[in-house]
Amino acid sequence: MSTLLEVRDLHVEVAGEEILHGVDLTIPEGEVHALFGPNGSGKTSLMMTIMGFSGYEITQGAVLFDGKDITDLDVTERARLGIGVAQQRPPTITGVQLHQVLDYAVDNGLCPREHLQELLAQARLDDFLTRDINGGLSGGEIRRSEILQLMVTQPRFAMMDEPDSGVDVEAMKLVGQMLNELFSLETSHPAKRRTGLIITHTGQILNYIQADKGHVMMRGELACSGNPRLIFDTACTSGYEICVQCINGVEV
Amino acid sequence: MKKTRSAIDNQTTNTETDLIPLNQVDETDAAALAEVGVIVDARQRSGTYIQRDHKPLCIMAQNEGLELLPIAQALEMYPWVRENYYWNLVSPNQDEITQHCAAQKVPQGFFIRVKKGVKIDKPCQASLYMAHTNITQAIHNIIILEEGAELHLITGCVSQHQVHTGLHYAVSEHYIGKHATLTSTMIHSWGPEVIVRPHAGTSVEEGGTFVNNYVSLRPAGDILSRPTTWLNGKGASAKYFTVILGSKGSEITTGGDVYLNAEGTSAEIAHRGVCTGGHLNQEGLLIGNAPCRAHVDCAGMLVDPGVDGYIESIPGLRATHPDARMSHEASIGKIAPEEVEYLQSRGIEEREAISMIIRGFLDADIEGLGPELDARIAEIAELAGHGE
Ligand SMILES: Nc1ncnc2c1ncn2[C@@H]1O[C@H](COP(=O)(O)OP(=O)(O)O)[C@@H](O)[C@H]1O
Ligand SMILES: [Mg+2]
Repeated sequence: MSTLLEVRDLHVEVAGEEILHGVDLTIPEGEVHALFGPNGSGKTSLMMTIMGFSGYEITQGAVLFDGKDITDLDVTERARLGIGVAQQRPPTITGVQLHQVLDYAVDNGLCPREHLQELLAQARLDDFLTRDINGGLSGGEIRRSEILQLMVTQPRFAMMDEPDSGVDVEAMKLVGQMLNELFSLETSHPAKRRTGLIITHTGQILNYIQADKGHVMMRGELACSGNPRLIFDTACTSGYEICVQCINGVEV
Repeated sequence: MKKTRSAIDNQTTNTETDLIPLNQVDETDAAALAEVGVIVDARQRSGTYIQRDHKPLCIMAQNEGLELLPIAQALEMYPWVRENYYWNLVSPNQDEITQHCAAQKVPQGFFIRVKKGVKIDKPCQASLYMAHTNITQAIHNIIILEEGAELHLITGCVSQHQVHTGLHYAVSEHYIGKHATLTSTMIHSWGPEVIVRPHAGTSVEEGGTFVNNYVSLRPAGDILSRPTTWLNGKGASAKYFTVILGSKGSEITTGGDVYLNAEGTSAEIAHRGVCTGGHLNQEGLLIGNAPCRAHVDCAGMLVDPGVDGYIESIPGLRATHPDARMSHEASIGKIAPEEVEYLQSRGIEEREAISMIIRGFLDADIEGLGPELDARIAEIAELAGHGE
């Protein structure tokens, strides 16, 4: 399949300090990849850089989407090309309500109104429509709200940051269901689904969604890539440091 | 001063002869008035008073129980107006503005009375409109709501777009009776060098409510507004909500004192200001003389302040009674880029995202405010975009 996202030798500075030190990542269309790694290793920074958020300054390298260099595009342009994110800690915007974003998507033909109603009921977010966006939401509610916005805006490439952290067991089921729907198989030949990148340091989400490939971020570099289950199980039993050594060892 | 005074002296008293019906207001005038919530569709309003430069242009009152007259006529008809209400809340000797208003041979402005128990459901509208440059408008308005009465008054003050300079002095005295509710929405849109000096006094009796919305869309060069409200009856309440969109070179101070003089009174002052240059001072003093609750909240957003633009917030509290519960908060900030980009990540244009955030910040859901506010917000969002 063709490559949808390509990150080439990406160096990124945050607040004047280099955080990503030459990341290469290729995600073919129709695949969902998992991104593992300890806290502070640079996972969120990679996602935010791909979306084009200011504050993540690319000092070297490039981001390509569908074969096009998007390094100089702003966030809106990237969103309109089909890149979407579910942030882990999205900002609260006083006076701007969730329905305004959803209405925007409906008004621009991204999602039929009736379908939005169904999704809202499924995500149990009806009561949040007229509240400030992300204002006073619990961890689980933020996950649901963010994933709902992805389901409504229908990006070709959906990224999400730690959908399984800060969520209790019950809420996790619902988040898992929603993600399953977001990455459901389309009836086509060959069978394909939405392309995605799921950041997880707990790995819990793998119980709900099949990832095609896993990557480990360590200190701002992708230390290894491979079978997501295998990588994660190794990381769980021996910790990321050992995991990376092991797999690097095998590869060398 | 001399020049303006003689202009007033030359005026005639022919208030009745030149009046026209609302639907005959000409297009240029109607467009200017629409900007500030004053519309020519009589069906949507309970009453209309339009003063163009120095003269009343249109006066209509459609509702039973709503009386609307030029102040000069009300003073002639009802001796009790002069005895009990005229210059009763604002002193004619307060300053040169009140002295100027008091010195007029024929006072300009309107008189509104809503009779006991009458609740007017559609807004009543008044406009003090400057069609010519370099004019001095000196206004004296009196509004009386008798017991249990209700009224929403939209006052639109506007100068035609080619009018850059002028003086607008206005004395307003509001009398809110027992359990009566006055919502006063004042929308201003002035030329860049117009000087605006409103002096308002309001007294509220037991259980009465005064809601005072003030919106300045296209600010004059110079606005100084410090209305005073006395909550004299048990359970009386006042709420001031002020939205100022500043611009380069403007000097704007809005504040006001609220005296909480009786048990169970409450007051709230909320300021929302956006600075795109010029000076914007947010004031407001709440004075708790009885068991009461009061809160003042100032919020400012600096969008494109330029070299010398600022917002200064000075919320004030004074308590003389131990059971006065009073609080204040103030915050000034800019538009957070992560908020703008969050909306952008859903496909929304940067300008539109900024507009949404400013609109949300202002939180101005005020009846009578039309598309003009949105248009102004879009202009400001444009500046914010360039300011990056
Ligand atoms: N806004 C910021 N200012 C300063 N340092 C930051 C900022 N954001 C992230 N960092 C730093 O960048 C590194 C990577 O962070 P992050 O991408 O959030 O990692 P992860 O998502 O893997 O936990 C960390 O050392 C973190 O402290
Ligand atoms: Mg993170």
